[in-house]
Amino acid sequence: MREARTDNDHSRSGGVISAVAFRGTGLTKIYRTGDTQVHALRGVDFTVVAGEILVLLGPSGSGKSTFLNIIGGLDRPSSGSLTYEDLELTDLSEHDLTRFRRAHIGFIFQFYNLIPSLTAEENVQLVTDIATNPMSAAKALALVGLADRASHYPAQLSGGEQQRVAVARAIAKQPSVLLCDEPTGALDSATGVRVLEALEQAHRELGTTVVIITHNAGIAEMAHRVFHFLDGGIARIVENAHPIEPAEISW
Amino acid sequence: MTALNLKLMRDLWHMRGQALAIAVVLAAATATFVLSLGVHQSLIATRDAYYAQNHFGDIFADMTRAPRSIIARVSQLPGVQRAQGSIRQYATIEFPGRVVPVRALINSVDEQGRDRLDLVTLRKGHMPQPGKPDQAVVDEVFATANNLDINGEVDAIIYGSKQRLRIVGIGLAPNYIWAIPPGDLTADESRFGIFWMGTKALEGMTDRTSAINALSLTLERGTSEANVIRAVDRLLEPYGGAGAYGRKDHVSHAFLQNELNQLKALTGVIPPVFLLVSAFLVYVVLTRMIGTERTQIGLIKAFGYSDWAIGWHYLGFALAIACVASVLGSVAGIWLGRGITAIYAESFRFPFLSFRIALPVFLAAAGLSFAAAGLGALGGVLNAVRLTPAVAMSPPPPPVYRAGWTERLGTVGGFSPIGHMIVRHIARWPARSAVTVMGIALSTGLLFSMMQFLDASTSMLDTFFFRAQRQDLSVSFTDPRNADVLDELARIPGVVLVEPARGIPVEIIHGNQRTRTAIESGPEDAQLTARIDADGSLVSQPAAGLLLSRHLADKLRARAGDRVQVDLLGGRRTSGLYPVASIVEEYVGERAYASEATLLRIAGDAAPVGVAQLRIDPAMRDPIIRELGAMPLVLGVSERAAAMLKFQDIIDRNISTMLFYYIAFASAIAIGVVYNSARILFSERAHELATLRVLGYQSSEVGLVLLGEIALLTIASVPLGCLVGYGLAQLMTAMFSSDLFRLPFAPQRSTYGWAIVVVLLAAIGTAAVVSRRVFRLDMVRVLKARD
Repeated sequence: MREARTDNDHSRSGGVISAVAFRGTGLTKIYRTGDTQVHALRGVDFTVVAGEILVLLGPSGSGKSTFLNIIGGLDRPSSGSLTYEDLELTDLSEHDLTRFRRAHIGFIFQFYNLIPSLTAEENVQLVTDIATNPMSAAKALALVGLADRASHYPAQLSGGEQQRVAVARAIAKQPSVLLCDEPTGALDSATGVRVLEALEQAHRELGTTVVIITHNAGIAEMAHRVFHFLDGGIARIVENAHPIEPAEISW
Repeated sequence: MTALNLKLMRDLWHMRGQALAIAVVLAAATATFVLSLGVHQSLIATRDAYYAQNHFGDIFADMTRAPRSIIARVSQLPGVQRAQGSIRQYATIEFPGRVVPVRALINSVDEQGRDRLDLVTLRKGHMPQPGKPDQAVVDEVFATANNLDINGEVDAIIYGSKQRLRIVGIGLAPNYIWAIPPGDLTADESRFGIFWMGTKALEGMTDRTSAINALSLTLERGTSEANVIRAVDRLLEPYGGAGAYGRKDHVSHAFLQNELNQLKALTGVIPPVFLLVSAFLVYVVLTRMIGTERTQIGLIKAFGYSDWAIGWHYLGFALAIACVASVLGSVAGIWLGRGITAIYAESFRFPFLSFRIALPVFLAAAGLSFAAAGLGALGGVLNAVRLTPAVAMSPPPPPVYRAGWTERLGTVGGFSPIGHMIVRHIARWPARSAVTVMGIALSTGLLFSMMQFLDASTSMLDTFFFRAQRQDLSVSFTDPRNADVLDELARIPGVVLVEPARGIPVEIIHGNQRTRTAIESGPEDAQLTARIDADGSLVSQPAAGLLLSRHLADKLRARAGDRVQVDLLGGRRTSGLYPVASIVEEYVGERAYASEATLLRIAGDAAPVGVAQLRIDPAMRDPIIRELGAMPLVLGVSERAAAMLKFQDIIDRNISTMLFYYIAFASAIAIGVVYNSARILFSERAHELATLRVLGYQSSEVGLVLLGEIALLTIASVPLGCLVGYGLAQLMTAMFSSDLFRLPFAPQRSTYGWAIVVVLLAAIGTAAVVSRRVFRLDMVRVLKARD
């Protein structure tokens, strides 16, 4: 593992020169609550390489989630520019931003965010119904090893199973990018590993770009690159020439 | 202020939209209660004060002609406090330049001011003076309607001769709070008026020197009315007594009583509906609120607050709503009550009528609001009380969804996941869904039950004026006539058809039941009048025996085939047994019908014509009316077209004034219910909605989850609403019915449609307002918070 400069346009992933997925310049986010202003992001410049596994590390409030939400089109920057491939995201209307999410992005959250009134399969179907080139819900569930739990409701599943349904739901549309905010935060190590394996499998089989926020530094070992966030900026970027398998991660 | 009360204030402020929506529904209950009971009490207070001040009689009697000396004999009957005799004479009034049949009922008053009963209250001018036979006092409503004032003059045809009367006073009397000429369906203040003239003058004009034809008397406290009526009837028998009757059969009193009963019915039906919906809403909102504040409740209890402090805190939320509703409803009730009182003041002849509400009415209204809100709060509050801190502070178990019947339904229907979300959520919260459906249904039902009264009026108009009565003019005579009069009328140019009709006053007795009414008859092949059954079919006059209206038959507990005793009142007293041939459903009055032959047998005379029904050539109307007015034997003329117009006018006025309130009140329920359901739904599903947005669903698609559920519940409420409306309408129709008339239950299909459309519009509008929140949904913030 070696440190790299923060402004490189192309990054090596597994030794291959890859295209850029996201490029951000001077990305700033200021939250105003009453009279106080919180600078969640302070002019961040970055690139996310297509097909890489990127881990975001840093203390709470350092700007990781804001970063993830903005590149995922859930939130808008206060200033700066952000492109996905050739698409300028900051110019998009709410409607088009939604279409961008629908077409390209899969989200996974710490607390699963499954719809309790829908079975595992129906939760995945929520996405396959509106995606342009989805795999079947059954296949997505099979990918995360939950083929036999398809007709169970979230309340009938364990935490790890629920998170794997969330992963299946995120990968079912075969997205270009998977954005994961603390996907293993609420899980024990064995279950966490299963979830990470599912993410890694999607990356391997579908070539998906995976961005993972975590507090668990061990998970950084499976990434190609690691962004270390501090005070609303990327303090350093660490490249990892030899990402390890999730099973090898010391929790 | 304690911290807990501060929290209560902030909670109320935070949920002000929902709280206000409930308060408005509750206020509608309070307002209706205050208004109907307030007007009811005001009318009763006014009436009683008026009766007492002007010495309204307790018992009344009409006769053909009795000597004045009969008054003293009646006064001496045991239990009689005061008695007074007078002359009452129908007359035709002529206005120069107007060809309108106007009738008047002229009452004699003592020129020396020695009257003791049914006193006239003068608004202007003075009573007729001795030696001035042309002086008359005119009732205020008639004077206003016809622009009459002091010193004005009118021509009256009294007992066949024309007299010029000078108006010396404008007044009113307690026996004419409501005035309607016999046989008419609606009061027309421009065509029927009450006059008062000096006794000597009227004696002279009607050839009744020292004679009377009407009697009224008051009773000593504790006297049996029935006994005195019997005694008076015996005394009056030789003088053609038509049967004495108490206040309850006095036309003016009965009409007023009828109105009072309707107000009471209103108090009994409408507020309970609103109270029920309010209680439901409080239940739903508070249960949800306590559900979301579980952790807070645990925390507060952990700090050492007692269970009851918590219970009281949440009860306070409901009571605060009731408090706002009481104030809002009372103010609205006073405002509406004033308006309705003003309408009553126009149609009823009161010397004074002020809308005064006694404090107990407000207190009772507020009490009901508090009770409804408290009752609604009970379930939630008890949950909060029972919650132990440890349980409360651990997160609630996730909502459990099962593949139940809705799931099977979903599979059959091939629902999308969004469809499943909607259907399963409804099934997951059955009580709340039921409240929403029930609430909207009640709103539809209430609106329908009020709107169908217009259908009832229209149906009555149709049955009465287009089918039962097809004559153009009704001519009544000073005395019953023989058939010669028909030829005389037929000779008037322009008269196309003349048919006789007659009504005789009788008492019908069956078992222990006895009722006074009139038996009417007309020719067998009558074309101008008909008996129409409730289903619209023609009922023919029985060849033998009597045809009873349903109401009369019920009162007598008589059925077809029974034999009833018929005693003639007035004139000769005959008595005989007659079979009941059949029953007819009629809306107005409680009458009996018989063939001309039967009637002649009962009456025992040979004068079959009491009234003549005329069909005329419309182009000849004016000369015909003029000629009829000049005939000495004609007592009065009434015109069907005018009565119809008047009736239509009343319906139209009802539509324009009442419809607004009906729609406003019913919409209040629909809006209150939908708003609260939608807000709760939104807060409950915000997390899921945000998730859908993250997954790439557009705001409009996400809104479908919210609107879809409301829409489904609203649609489900439609048939139930029609059912509720049908039931409420029948209940109200029954409650509004009286001896005077019954309302037909004849709702049009379009009325269901209109009620549904109004409520749907209110529901859609409200849901649209709430669904705007979907567009403002902050995905990041919602998802940050754990469900």
